[in-house]
Amino acid sequence: MKVAILQMEGTNCEEESFIAFRDSGFEPEYVHINLLKPGDLEKYNVLFIPGGFSAGDYVRAGAIFAARLKAKIWKDLKNFVDEGKIVMGVCNGFQVLIELGLLPAVDGISDEPQAALMVNDSNKFECRWTYLRRENDTIFTSKVPEVITLPVAHAEGKFVAPNKILEKIEEQKQVVFRYVKPDGSKADYPWNPNGSMNDIAAITNPQGNVLGIMPHPERAFFWYQHPDWTRKKREKGDGSLIFKSLIKYS
Amino acid sequence: MKYEKISDKVYRVKMRDASDDELKKISDEMGLALNLEEMKRIKEYFSNLGRDPTDVEIHAIAQAWSEHCSYKSSKPILRKYIFGIESPHTIVVMQDDAGVVEFDENHAYVFKIESHNHPSAVEPYGGAATGVGGIIRDVLNMGAKPIALVDPLFFAPPDYPYKKLRQGIKHPRYLLKGVVSGIRDYGNRVGIPTVAGITYFDEGYVNNILVNAGCLGIVKKDKIVRSRVTKPDVLLVMVGGRTGRDGIHGVNFASKVLSEKSEEEREAVQLGNPILKEPLIHLILEANEMGIIHGMKDLGGGGLGSVVGEMCYSGGVGAEVHLDKVLLKERDMAPWEIWVSESQERMLLAIEEENLEKLKNLCDKWDVEISVIGKSIMEKNLRIYWQGRKILDLPLNFLTGGVEYNRPYKIQKIEKMQEIPPEPKYREIFLNLLSSINIASKEWIIRQYDHEVQGKTVIKPLQGEIGFETHGDAAVIKPLHDSWRGIAITTVANPQIARIDPYVGSLYTMDEAVRNLVAVGAKPHALSDCLNFGNPEKEEIMGEFVESSRGLGEAGRFLEIPFVSGNVSFYNEAFRMNIPPTVVLMAVGIIEDMRKAITTDLKKEGNPVYLVGETREEMGGSDYYRMIGVRSTYVPRVDLSETKRRSEELLKAMKSGLILSCHDVSHGGLAVTLAEMAIGGNIGAEIDLRSMGVMRDDFKLFSESPTRWVCEVQRGKEGEFEKIVNATKIGYVGGNSLRVRDGERWLFNVHLNILRSRWKNGLKDYLG
Repeated sequence: MKVAILQMEGTNCEEESFIAFRDSGFEPEYVHINLLKPGDLEKYNVLFIPGGFSAGDYVRAGAIFAARLKAKIWKDLKNFVDEGKIVMGVCNGFQVLIELGLLPAVDGISDEPQAALMVNDSNKFECRWTYLRRENDTIFTSKVPEVITLPVAHAEGKFVAPNKILEKIEEQKQVVFRYVKPDGSKADYPWNPNGSMNDIAAITNPQGNVLGIMPHPERAFFWYQHPDWTRKKREKGDGSLIFKSLIKYS
Repeated sequence: MKYEKISDKVYRVKMRDASDDELKKISDEMGLALNLEEMKRIKEYFSNLGRDPTDVEIHAIAQAWSEHCSYKSSKPILRKYIFGIESPHTIVVMQDDAGVVEFDENHAYVFKIESHNHPSAVEPYGGAATGVGGIIRDVLNMGAKPIALVDPLFFAPPDYPYKKLRQGIKHPRYLLKGVVSGIRDYGNRVGIPTVAGITYFDEGYVNNILVNAGCLGIVKKDKIVRSRVTKPDVLLVMVGGRTGRDGIHGVNFASKVLSEKSEEEREAVQLGNPILKEPLIHLILEANEMGIIHGMKDLGGGGLGSVVGEMCYSGGVGAEVHLDKVLLKERDMAPWEIWVSESQERMLLAIEEENLEKLKNLCDKWDVEISVIGKSIMEKNLRIYWQGRKILDLPLNFLTGGVEYNRPYKIQKIEKMQEIPPEPKYREIFLNLLSSINIASKEWIIRQYDHEVQGKTVIKPLQGEIGFETHGDAAVIKPLHDSWRGIAITTVANPQIARIDPYVGSLYTMDEAVRNLVAVGAKPHALSDCLNFGNPEKEEIMGEFVESSRGLGEAGRFLEIPFVSGNVSFYNEAFRMNIPPTVVLMAVGIIEDMRKAITTDLKKEGNPVYLVGETREEMGGSDYYRMIGVRSTYVPRVDLSETKRRSEELLKAMKSGLILSCHDVSHGGLAVTLAEMAIGGNIGAEIDLRSMGVMRDDFKLFSESPTRWVCEVQRGKEGEFEKIVNATKIGYVGGNSLRVRDGERWLFNVHLNILRSRWKNGLKDYLG
């Protein structure tokens, strides 16, 4: 399972992502967008877009990264998705996938973004741990228990979509994780850290091979990355179960 | 006519026959911030040479001689007290831009803290962001990967009345928000976690805020790069950002007092660009891994001017620079502007010619600009060329060797007195303290910084049950994938004590650094100091500096913790008001096995709670006395041998796994420590102060005596714990409130929800 971890100026979670993939049994490689040529994607099974602030997020989070991908390898990327290969975007990567129209893609890949990750309701960047409830069965979550904890760290993570799109996302069981309270009940702030509609933290496309997730599984890969490890024993980090699910699928 | 044009945008300055008044005028007109004595020295030098200097030469000298670059006022004192503390672990001490200390057999950590005060006072967002950018480069240029940031900040209280502000002074709330946003947007974007800091409020900072920034990195020992060029014919190569007019005279600006006119000097504040920095970091680390960097230094304060000279001077060679080769942001810059510009995101690399092609390829990959601007030469002179013509030729020992002053100082005598207030209403005063701005939760700030990026922050700045976290004493970074060894980081400052007695203030701050590191289970290892003071030309300010340095040196020597890097910021004065003496320490400890690290949150019902250390009736500088407006000059006395002994005891008990939570006692005393531990654990405690002996209860609760910790011990292990640690049992964990009594007398009983909401909202209410 070869993984391409995409880099451009401002991506900055690639190292912990690399470790997460490698330690889960994948073969990850860094691929800088400046060196990416048509045809390059073919040899990979997974395309991973890490978190960070691509191009500084100065226009709109993820917009420039998406525009450059479209300009460089849009055809290859669409084929990659259509062939059922796996695409995964975390945080800024999720924002990129929405900008590209690869998510939510309720009726297939869209030319225009169908949803947005907007500025948090708190109107500021927030770094905090959240509880997430697994919603639907996907290739990313087969090993994931019902409730896990993962950290978020973003200023623009409020998932919004027009009602019709939102209904379709729910109908087609595209929601992967929802923010919840520690007891699994419906979240309010800060448990829903950004004000996302329907408490959405992660979605896939209808085919289930493209995942966008705001919280960072790669930052909760080992037990000692959890903030409460001095209170609660774990064998491994909750985030590792997502990578584990994926390697099992392949 | 004092200036004669000799080339395109280059002038000769006729100073050989200038009068004293004219010399002062030249210094003012050219923005040099040099005093008459220094101008006379320059005049004499050129008179002996038999020629007048060019404007480039004068600017180069002014920059090299600025307080910021030369440490001319502080160096004799630093040499006497702070330099030269021995430790078997140190690798590079007080030489290059950051200190280097052994981490394990194959790795070293690199760190430094420095100030960015004046720029942040004028332009808080850009100033603070640039401060972060600059300190990252200081660590990067030793070849290290930056893995943690810290940010101690000092402002006037957020409710400071607008009416009392002097002209040109910005409101502390505006400044705080701007500074926090600047640090957030830079640190988060560049992908380095901000893991520790201080936010301290005092009216003494109203005219002159302090923004200090520290960075820590990790490097393989055989990849450490020095900031020096050691042989001739090595190419000098600039990589990264272009050179512009931003940040002209930044160091001169930093070396004079602020005034209502400072606003006009906004151009002295540089502009940072984290999205240029991020690829620059990758580029530098990849080039270093390939082993093609001979020497490296970042362009910070002083720009090319200070970097070329310092790199070549310390390596024993000279340099030849062609200023037309420097890539510019704007055309029409004069050579002197190019030479002193402090534009951000630039690094100077010394590269052997055969490696240039490899470096260029890396630059292509990362989209970073590169230009060869000169080379090292055998002769120990600096020569600058412009359009083929030589416009500067000076021996480096004159330029970079610099000046030094033994400034006169006066040490203030301290009259010992302590007023005794009537006994307070305990519940009320306790909750008021808990919600006071210097004690209340800093969550509003901490969460805006990404403290998780890189996935190495294994003990976070906020600790406890998810959603209920409290303040920690130190963060712990696990820098290597395949090792359990951790680096603990904390920052400390106690101006409230230093303003009464700067010497004791330093001892107390050193004690607190040790306390914080030991509280997470780390052995104190090395320090970086950022010394923020007023105007050193005033004898009493210089006296504060001398006394503070003496305290630091004495404690460092006794505790065997070396100062490996640091920074002095003088001239923190505006409208004749000097800041309180503010010694800020970035302290680093080593924890052999991070799995044994301890957090501050209470863990489990039924566990005994102990107080370690002596509580004394020394209320000078305490938050309690300051809040109720009672005076005392009895500041907490520090016994360094106790600091040492008690830390060793605690670390031993932690290694044996007897301690489940631990928090040092500082601002607000024992009561606040207990409250913070309960808040994070989301569980209460019952405390009886009787075992502390006979003393007023407000002193027991709110005294800030040093060398104290509160520990939660594993139930049933009391005997084992007491054998190792000399401590007093004061209660048990349990319930949903903090209940405190002294024998039969109940002092307060406060529910966790009330504790938490008062603590959480104290500062947030001002910031929204």
